[in-house]
Amino acid sequence: MSTLAPLVLPPKPRGRWKPWLGLAIVLLITAVTLSPQWGIAFSFDAIARNWQNGADKVLALLQPDWTFFPRTIPPLVETLQMAVIATFVGAVVSLPLSLWAARLTNPNRYTRGALKTLLNAVRSIPDLLYASVLVAMVGVGALPGIIALVLFNVGIIVKMVSESIEVNDAGPLEAGRAAGGTQLQINRAIALTDAWPAFVNQTLYVLELNVRASTVLGLVGAGGLGLLIDAVRTFYRYDQLSLIILEILVVVVVIDAVSAAIRRRLV
Amino acid sequence: MTDLHDSAAAGVHTSAAAPWSIRMRDVSVRYPNGVVALKGVSLDIEAGEMVSVVGLSGSGKSSLIRTINGLVPISSGTLEVGGRHLETARGRELRQLRGEIGMIFQGFNLARRASVLNNVLVGRLAHTPTWRTLLGLYRAGDVRIAYEALNSVGILAKAYDRASTLSGGQQQRVAIARALAQQPKLVLADEPVASLDPPTAHGVMRDLRRINQELGITVLTNLHLLDLARTYGTRLIGLRAGEVVYDGPAATASDAVFETIYGRSIQHEDVLG
Repeated sequence: MSTLAPLVLPPKPRGRWKPWLGLAIVLLITAVTLSPQWGIAFSFDAIARNWQNGADKVLALLQPDWTFFPRTIPPLVETLQMAVIATFVGAVVSLPLSLWAARLTNPNRYTRGALKTLLNAVRSIPDLLYASVLVAMVGVGALPGIIALVLFNVGIIVKMVSESIEVNDAGPLEAGRAAGGTQLQINRAIALTDAWPAFVNQTLYVLELNVRASTVLGLVGAGGLGLLIDAVRTFYRYDQLSLIILEILVVVVVIDAVSAAIRRRLV
Repeated sequence: MTDLHDSAAAGVHTSAAAPWSIRMRDVSVRYPNGVVALKGVSLDIEAGEMVSVVGLSGSGKSSLIRTINGLVPISSGTLEVGGRHLETARGRELRQLRGEIGMIFQGFNLARRASVLNNVLVGRLAHTPTWRTLLGLYRAGDVRIAYEALNSVGILAKAYDRASTLSGGQQQRVAIARALAQQPKLVLADEPVASLDPPTAHGVMRDLRRINQELGITVLTNLHLLDLARTYGTRLIGLRAGEVVYDGPAATASDAVFETIYGRSIQHEDVLG
């Protein structure tokens, strides 16, 4: 080529301004939220005026009451039991529902839509509300807490696992269909193996969530450490509360290590 | 690529004595998005034939092969496979028909995290009650068939390995074993070597030819490479824009024939070498 041919550039993709519009909308919403008329009541003055009220509580929290330790053991064990049982039951219920909720493993849009709607409803109700209602229905103790946690777990696991199934390769499932398998057989023999890592990861994650959530559920009478937290908080025993928080921290760290070990073996 | 061992193959395929023929009459396929993939295709494929289906991507050859086991439903026309009408088959009847038709895919389509053996056992699904699959309790006879199918493609030693740990060529042989485990009357292969390097591709094509020659199974293979189509097929069907533009012997199909099918001159990408 003797002369350089003029470059013919392809037309630029349209819609490049969209990210900027998105940013502008986020900034606008933030501004509205902070504005005195329409926003949340929020002022920095309050921090300046009140921070000393909290200071003595922080001071107490920094001095855990170690002698309180023996009394925390039974509720701590109960919290762990609730978390483990709820995780197990939640996982067992979630596995078939996850396959039911994904398009690749359930081509019927009506049954899939019905399940998804139900799960959205389950997820939109806070676990604390489940616990409050269940305490009224089945009485104070670990049982309402476990049921509340199971509902909470199913909502999370099914959503996350079914969404991960949607992005899995459809090819192996097509091979199962071509070989004359029923949808149930294909799901069990093929889809399940591909969904397994997501399922294990989500299950281990909800185990950790359950330990923390079951401490809160106790506040409404649903068993575990929460009952004790409520008691010591009522008497302003922040030194005892501090010990409980430390114990939860230790448990969460231990569970994190245990889940990492389990994940290495199962995935 | 290891040869299909005669004894093992004979053990697996006692039922392949009666391979299937295909009768297509005026078959059209229109997808829900309005794309017309096949326009009035009529074909007679006799039992035991080794057919190469050739065309550029978008010519409808993938749709053609997928209508034959009902993965793509036909919009009009009639389709008889092994003397049974496929276009009206539903539910259990369709699954039983599919159970007799092995299929091999370009992307192997193995469950990557499952063992090689469990992938091959997918070929037995149509012959296994659902409760057995759910519990993972395969019949000893089906497991035996799966082992023999793996042995016949020379990778029995990999039976307990995870499918994803195998090379591309080995994975395609697992997929062939999965099809063989169906004890099929007909094997469909959709671009089976497009993801493989040339020596491996020839090995897989030789395996398909042996399935046809030694077991007598009807084999339809989609290809876009003219030398593979000439070498391994006995009959060549050319598709262009959803219509059959050539149907004749494969070995003697000239470059001019391929230029007709492709609608352009032959390029070096059209040959594997």
